[in-house]
Amino acid sequence: MISNDTALMAHLLRRAGFGANRDELESYLEIGYDGAVEALLNPSDPGNMPDDLIRRYHVDQSELRDLPSSSAYWMYRMISTSCPMEEKTALFWHGLFATGYSKLNQARSQLNQVEMFRRSGLGSFEDLLVELSKDPAMIVWLDNNENHGASINENYGRELLELFSMGIGNYSEDDIKGCARAFTGWTLGNAEYMSVRAAKDSIWPYGRIAWHFDYREEDHDDGEKTFLGETGRFNGEDIIAIIVKQEATARFVATRLFQFFAADEITEAGEKTIEAMMATYFSSGYQIRDMLRTLFHSDYFKSEEARFARVKGPVEMVVGAIRMAGNYQDPYLGIEGVANTMFYMGQGLLRPPTVEGWHEGAEWIDSGALVERVNFVAKELSNVSSPGVRSIIERLEAGADQGVLQPSELADGCLDLLGPIQVSEETRSVLVEYASRHGDLDLNGHQPGDQAEQRVGDILRLVAATREYQLA
Amino acid sequence: MSTQTKSSEIVLDYVKTIGIVNNGYNGRGFANPYDIAVGGDGRIFVLNRCDPLRASAIRVGICNLEDEYLGEFGRGFGAGDEQFAWPVAMVLDSRYRLHITDEHNHRVTTYDTSGDASGNASAKYLSHWGKPGTGDGELNGPAGIAVDSSDNLFVVDQHNSRVQKFTSDGKFIANWGSFGGGDGQFNLPWGAAVDKDDNVYIADWRNNRIQKFTNDGEFLAAFGNSGEGEGQFQRPTSVAVDPEGFIYVADWGNERVQVLGPDGSFQMILRGEATVSKWAEAYFDSNPEEKAERDISNLKPELPAHLNTPYHISSQTEPYFWGPVSVSLDREGRLYVAETNRHRFQVYQKR
Repeated sequence: MISNDTALMAHLLRRAGFGANRDELESYLEIGYDGAVEALLNPSDPGNMPDDLIRRYHVDQSELRDLPSSSAYWMYRMISTSCPMEEKTALFWHGLFATGYSKLNQARSQLNQVEMFRRSGLGSFEDLLVELSKDPAMIVWLDNNENHGASINENYGRELLELFSMGIGNYSEDDIKGCARAFTGWTLGNAEYMSVRAAKDSIWPYGRIAWHFDYREEDHDDGEKTFLGETGRFNGEDIIAIIVKQEATARFVATRLFQFFAADEITEAGEKTIEAMMATYFSSGYQIRDMLRTLFHSDYFKSEEARFARVKGPVEMVVGAIRMAGNYQDPYLGIEGVANTMFYMGQGLLRPPTVEGWHEGAEWIDSGALVERVNFVAKELSNVSSPGVRSIIERLEAGADQGVLQPSELADGCLDLLGPIQVSEETRSVLVEYASRHGDLDLNGHQPGDQAEQRVGDILRLVAATREYQLA
Repeated sequence: MSTQTKSSEIVLDYVKTIGIVNNGYNGRGFANPYDIAVGGDGRIFVLNRCDPLRASAIRVGICNLEDEYLGEFGRGFGAGDEQFAWPVAMVLDSRYRLHITDEHNHRVTTYDTSGDASGNASAKYLSHWGKPGTGDGELNGPAGIAVDSSDNLFVVDQHNSRVQKFTSDGKFIANWGSFGGGDGQFNLPWGAAVDKDDNVYIADWRNNRIQKFTNDGEFLAAFGNSGEGEGQFQRPTSVAVDPEGFIYVADWGNERVQVLGPDGSFQMILRGEATVSKWAEAYFDSNPEEKAERDISNLKPELPAHLNTPYHISSQTEPYFWGPVSVSLDREGRLYVAETNRHRFQVYQKR
């Protein structure tokens, strides 16, 4: 029987991480739910695969010129970190503040943006928006390098209000103009040269030159502006200080956090949780960490209603399966091909489809993506030589009566150790029936890769194909 | 840019930069160069490790100091004859045989490059040798390689934490080393060099030091420790020793080259000062609008604090070394620094 503590902790780790194997789950259970929330929200040393090793073996990930190598570099971090919430938070902001390689041709600077999300993604939303506005990848993505004192380009100003903070309907066209004027002069170093290179996708003569922020005072419109009812000689920081005071901003941020970390659909109980997160937003001085603490401690989040209420995104799917299987913990020739599977499922890291990011929830799953998802996870989890799968086999053996598992025990044990995953009675009966084909499973004296172990791998493969495994 | 101690006994003058990124599968330019070997006839062999998108073009390119691209050889990614997966380093012996290590295929591939000084079709494949394992003569991730005056080869057997000595046709002679941080121990060692007295130097990569041994593996000295200061290293990848005993180190993690005296004393740092190569000039001749914007740019910018690390500085400062993975010397006292991430090498002349 799975305890509620275990199920709840697994739920938290699916949302604030990429799921957890049993060893991880037990270590979090030792510090309890409250301790786990704090550990996740306060990342320390991630202990991820070190950069020196990655750079030594993957010359492409040292240079980070091309997209596949760069998404693989981030994936390495996701699959080897001991601070999964840090990466999950970066993924959240990457989806919300979507910035894509297709226009930038500058993966190194995109990864610098991801590092900024790690650095600031759980802190003050005001600070985060300032950093975002100074981020060179964002500046080029939304043309703020073309936003000049004498001739404004409204693109960044508009999206800052519509897609990144308040949402449409909460500001006027004049507010957009005021906002854009305030961000004139916010550009990147050597902007003209870098723009030419980006537009031509030039890597000549010596590869890419990464980007950094530059403020050109002489190009900044220092005149008086009116923005959301306030008037002054606003610069970008002043505009952001006004934005973050708005209730619409609080609702926007709380809702997006809720939908990423709690549930795709917002029920009445979910709406109350969002309101509580909004209250925390103001009381904490716009702190994202505090809003998430409110969410994770809410009755809603802990309730059965919130469990398995999200469709796993492709990144969660792939990273979760790899972490469960314990694979790719050392530099691996061909890793970029593994990272590409996320793209084939509909979510390529560093290449969101538009500035609106990915359409999440049920839209993750179409027939093509579903085949990709099932095939990838099945392959990872059915490989009985993978360290994580070996650990599952050892645990099944340790929990068996004299090393022998009845078919129902085999099915239930796999569901437990992969989550625990709650499945319908119909799904469970299919698993048990499949497990029954060869009778009881005798794990006594099992050897790596033998028939007994492969029977475990077969059940894990079948679990990967269930509807329930698609949900977080 | 270089810094030297007041008492520095060595001066290195920047000479030129050769290279341009090669985005295709053959021809002039380099793709993530990982090592350089310079022949007595002026040919410069450049090992292109290549990124995964261009792995089918893993090869050795040949050029000279006059910026002529002379040709190339190798049959791309794989485990067949003349193929490579993760090639690391190479060395020329006295008979112009070029020995190339491959840390994924666990072997050394040998070419005869003595044939044709023009460089065209100048490399004749001879053999590959070595097999994976931990026994004498077996290899697990061969990295650096060096040759002594008797044409014996020293192969850095990185994952076995040892150095192995072979004849030039791959017959095992001896080995030494074990995993650890003590004298004569290694942690993922990489580069190797031999001095005029046939002593052996190893870039003990993850121990951030250079170790010196006799030709038979007796420990003599260790130079350096972890850090960013003078005489300190961050993951040294390559070492070379000139006839006067000066020790050149590719201080890869610090994105610089350091020179030590024969006794290991700090002498100077090179940070890199690349200029537009002949091949790059040809590119800009065809792309004047890009050149015009480049000419008014500051390619040595001041960076925000969060980017103030050697790696990030190099990623944004084109003249500096970025991924200086190997140091090589020629007979005229020139130093060649291959830069993986910039697809070029910089040449310096010792006064």
